Amino acid sequence: MRWLCDFLNSSIGKKISVGLAGLFLCGFVVPHLLGNLLLFVGMAQFNAYAHFLQANPLTPAAELGLLALFLLHGTVALWARWQNWRARPVGYDTVASKGGRTIGSRTMTYTAFLVLAFLILHVAMFKYGWGSAFHDEELFQRVMDFFRNPWIAGGYALALIGLGLHLSHGFESAFQTLGVNHPKYTPFIKVLGVLFAVAVAGAFAAIPIWACFLGGAK
Amino acid sequence: MNAQEKTMDVTLRVWRQKGPDQPGRFVSYAAKGVTPEMSFFEALDTINEGLVAKGEDAIAFDHDCREGICGTCCLTIEGQPHGPDQAATGCQLHMRAYKDGDAITIEPFRARAFPVIKDLVVDRSALDRVMASGGFVSVNTGSAGEANAILVPKDKAEAAMDAAACIGCGACVAACPNASAMLFVSAKVSQFALLPQGGPERDRRVLAMQRQMDLEGFGNCSNEGECEAVCPKEVKLANIARLNREYIRAMFWSHEVHPKVDLEGQEE
Repeated sequence: MRWLCDFLNSSIGKKISVGLAGLFLCGFVVPHLLGNLLLFVGMAQFNAYAHFLQANPLTPAAELGLLALFLLHGTVALWARWQNWRARPVGYDTVASKGGRTIGSRTMTYTAFLVLAFLILHVAMFKYGWGSAFHDEELFQRVMDFFRNPWIAGGYALALIGLGLHLSHGFESAFQTLGVNHPKYTPFIKVLGVLFAVAVAGAFAAIPIWACFLGGAK
Repeated sequence: MNAQEKTMDVTLRVWRQKGPDQPGRFVSYAAKGVTPEMSFFEALDTINEGLVAKGEDAIAFDHDCREGICGTCCLTIEGQPHGPDQAATGCQLHMRAYKDGDAITIEPFRARAFPVIKDLVVDRSALDRVMASGGFVSVNTGSAGEANAILVPKDKAEAAMDAAACIGCGACVAACPNASAMLFVSAKVSQFALLPQGGPERDRRVLAMQRQMDLEGFGNCSNEGECEAVCPKEVKLANIARLNREYIRAMFWSHEVHPKVDLEGQEE
């Protein structure tokens, strides 16, 4: 299995690992978002969905798989970032882009840490009820209780804009990394990447904004 | 038109470094009476003539053909490898890009794999070692064969030529926020992978060149695209996607494994 170690150790193998794990995480985000949008439908429907997930025997396995994907995505990317930092020990006095970088690609490391911090709080608050007054309330109630606080709602919206920026580069970049670059469909993937980032960030952020500032949590 | 009216005075802020392990610093030089028709390097030549006349050490900078085909020049001008022009090398830059009173910062290409030799001259032999590790076809070509003995589709020939346009200047490494050499390696892998003659060794080649690239201490590609934007020969990011495909193919569909190589490119 030396070849597998060589693969994970190589610059191309690292980016393929990060890109592939990232695409799987994108695949997780879509059903998660669709489920959350049930908050807009009503309390009973959302709570029924939450009970269905909690009672499903496959849920713990899926959670472990998700954790493994996050760890792979994060640790390999961080390892690559460390090597990149070492690859230029003396930096430039003046740096001027000629047009390759985007705001999303420039901020990948920052948005990554923003999303990481957000995820830790997010799981602690909503899954384990950290900071909640009760520990046995229905999930709909817990969401609304948290989002009544404008600081929490604002912080959530901000972190989700960070996720959107991360996706605006990451989605398209993962396809390039997997060797998918062709004049017939690369322009489509680029547009799809931006639309995906805007849709995911916008729809997720709409929940705390609606709950806190538009009277959803009344 | 009176040529006298069109001259300008600019300040060049140049990185000076006596040797590889010496500390470096910026030194400002006034270039007076520069004409717009002068090439950027001629402005540097003018300063050097003045320095030599005063008995000082001339500014060392790499240059050879001065017509954009050799890939020798390696200046980062105002934060851009090869300067502000599109699809051009530093030697093709002219002073008409600047105006009277401009201050222009000139630095060497910066990367761990490109150590500074002196002033603005860097050692880019890392790219040569990547080529030596696999950038060739191991056949005795003999005398020129019949041109149509091996048929090549025109679109493949064109794409291979576009990749082979790479002059190995290293601007992609210099511009990359990660100091990655992926665009260079992808161009060199592509020019062979696209042609039938490169077919028999394609798996072995991509693994060997990738391994050597990593050993040289270049960074990892994160698809920023700055390399494509500065490339004087307009080598495209599509080549990096091809390199990734070649690598996946070699890694998962061939019997080849990474060759064990040391830093000199010698197989153990």
